[in-house]
Amino acid sequence: MKGVIFNILEEMVIDKCGMMAWNDILDTLGQDGIYTAGKSYPDDKLFALVGEVSARLELPPETVVGAFGEFLFDQLARRYPVFLETQPTLKGFLKSIDSVIHVEVRKLYESPDLPSIICHEPDDHTLVMEYRSPRQLCLLAEGLIRGAASRYNEPIEMTHPVCTHQGADHCDLIIRFNGQTA
Amino acid sequence: MSDEAQAYKQAYSREKAARLEAEQLLDDKSRELFLKNQQLEASNKQLKEQHSALMRSEKMATLGTLSAGVAHEINNPLAFVYSNLGSLNGYVASYQKLLQLAQSWQDNEQLSASQTEQLRQLIETEDLAFISEDIIGLLADSQEGLDRMKDIVQNLRRFAHSQETGWEDVNLIEGLESTLKILNSQLKNTVIVDKHFEALPPVPGKANELNQTFLNIIVNACHAMKDTERPQLRIETGVAGNEVLIKITDNGCGMEEEVIQSLFDPFFTTKPVGEGTGMGMSISYSIIKDHQGRLQVASKPGIGTRFDIYLPLERNENTVSDSF
Repeated sequence: MKGVIFNILEEMVIDKCGMMAWNDILDTLGQDGIYTAGKSYPDDKLFALVGEVSARLELPPETVVGAFGEFLFDQLARRYPVFLETQPTLKGFLKSIDSVIHVEVRKLYESPDLPSIICHEPDDHTLVMEYRSPRQLCLLAEGLIRGAASRYNEPIEMTHPVCTHQGADHCDLIIRFNGQTA
Repeated sequence: MSDEAQAYKQAYSREKAARLEAEQLLDDKSRELFLKNQQLEASNKQLKEQHSALMRSEKMATLGTLSAGVAHEINNPLAFVYSNLGSLNGYVASYQKLLQLAQSWQDNEQLSASQTEQLRQLIETEDLAFISEDIIGLLADSQEGLDRMKDIVQNLRRFAHSQETGWEDVNLIEGLESTLKILNSQLKNTVIVDKHFEALPPVPGKANELNQTFLNIIVNACHAMKDTERPQLRIETGVAGNEVLIKITDNGCGMEEEVIQSLFDPFFTTKPVGEGTGMGMSISYSIIKDHQGRLQVASKPGIGTRFDIYLPLERNENTVSDSF
C-alpha cells in the first residue's frame, strides 16, 4: 500500500482523536510511523493500524474502513483536484477511475497494485462497478464512493449484493443515482 | 496548552505543509519524467526502424552495383564462350564425318594393309570411337551449363537495372488473376485461395514485371505451405491513401528473423542446392522499388507470412531512374 494512504489515516486519527492517540497506536503496534507518499509499505501494517483504531473506538473494523474511505476521498481530492475538475458529474467521475485515474497513478508509481474496476450501466440511473482486488478492500471502495458522492453533492443509494467476502470472485457495487444530474 | 507546545504544533503544521509540497513536486517531476521517457522510447524506436531501413537500402544499393558489375564482367566472356561453343558444335560434326569416312574405308577394305593397320592403331591409341560418342554429351552439358549461366547473368542484370521503357496503366487484379491461372496446376486441390479483391484504379507500371513479383511471392508461399495441414492463401487488394496495397498471406512455415533479414539478398535461398537460384525475392524487391513502391514482409515461424506490396497511384518522374 502506498504511504499516502498511511499519511491520510494518520491525519484522520489526529483529526478525530488527537496526536496522543496516534502516538499511542504506533507505540502499541511497534511501528515507527514514518510513511512517505510514494513509497510502498506492507498491507499488514495498514490493516494493523485500522484494527487498532477500531479497537480503541470500539467500532467494528468495517465501520472504520468505510469512514476512512470517505475521509480518504476528501483528502485525495484536495491533493489531486484535477481529476474532479475534468469530470462534472459523479457518474462520469466514477467511470473515469479505471481509465483516467489509474492510468495516471501508473505513470507515477511502478507496480502500484491497483484494483480493477469495470463499470456498466443497466439503466440511466444505475452504475454497476465490478471491483476486483486481492486486497479485498471493497468496504474502503464503498467509503471512497460515498466520499465522492458527498463531494459532488449528489445523493446516492449503494448496495453490495455480490462480495468476495462471501465467496464471490469479485464485488458488485451497485450505485443508484437519485438526483437529476445522474 | 503551553506556549512551547503551541510553538511545536505550529512547527508541525509547517513541516506537514512542506512535506505535502515536496510530495507534490515529486509527483510533478515523476509525471514529467514518465512522459519524457515515453517520448524518448518512441523516438528511439523510430530511430532504430529508420536505421534498419537505411542499412537495408544501402545494402541493396551495394548489392545492386556489385550485381551489375559481376553481370557485366561475366557477360563478356560468356558471350564469346557461347559463340565458340556454337562453332565448336559445327566443327565437331565435320571431324566426326571425317572419322566415319575413314572407318568406312577401313571396313570396306579400300585401304592398303599398312594404312588399315595405321588407322586402327590411331583409332585405338587415341580412343577415337569413345571420344566421338562422349563429345556429343560433353557439348550438350556445356551448352546447358552456359544456358544456366546466361539465366543467372540475366537475373543479376534485371536485379540491378530496370529499363525505363514500357510504362503502362496496369490492371493489378487482372495480373493477379492471370498469375493464379498460371499456377492453377500447383494450387488446384491443395491450396485454398481466398480472394478479397477490392476494385483498384490502374497503376503506372510494367505488367510483366509486376506479374513476375506476384508469381515469385505466391510460388514461395506454396513452398512454405507444403507441410501445412490446411494450406490457405489469402490475397487482398485495397487502396490506402495515394497507394494501392496488395496483401498476400499464407499459413505456411513462416520465417525466422535471420531469414527475413536476408530475404531480399541476391542468391539467398533456404531451398536445397539446385532447387532455387535465390534471385526471386531480390528481383521482386527491385521491381517494386523500381515502381517507386514498397515491399514489406511480416512473418512468424509456425504461423505464416504476409507480404504487403504498396504501389503508388502516380509515378513521380523527378525521382532518379536508378532502381535503388
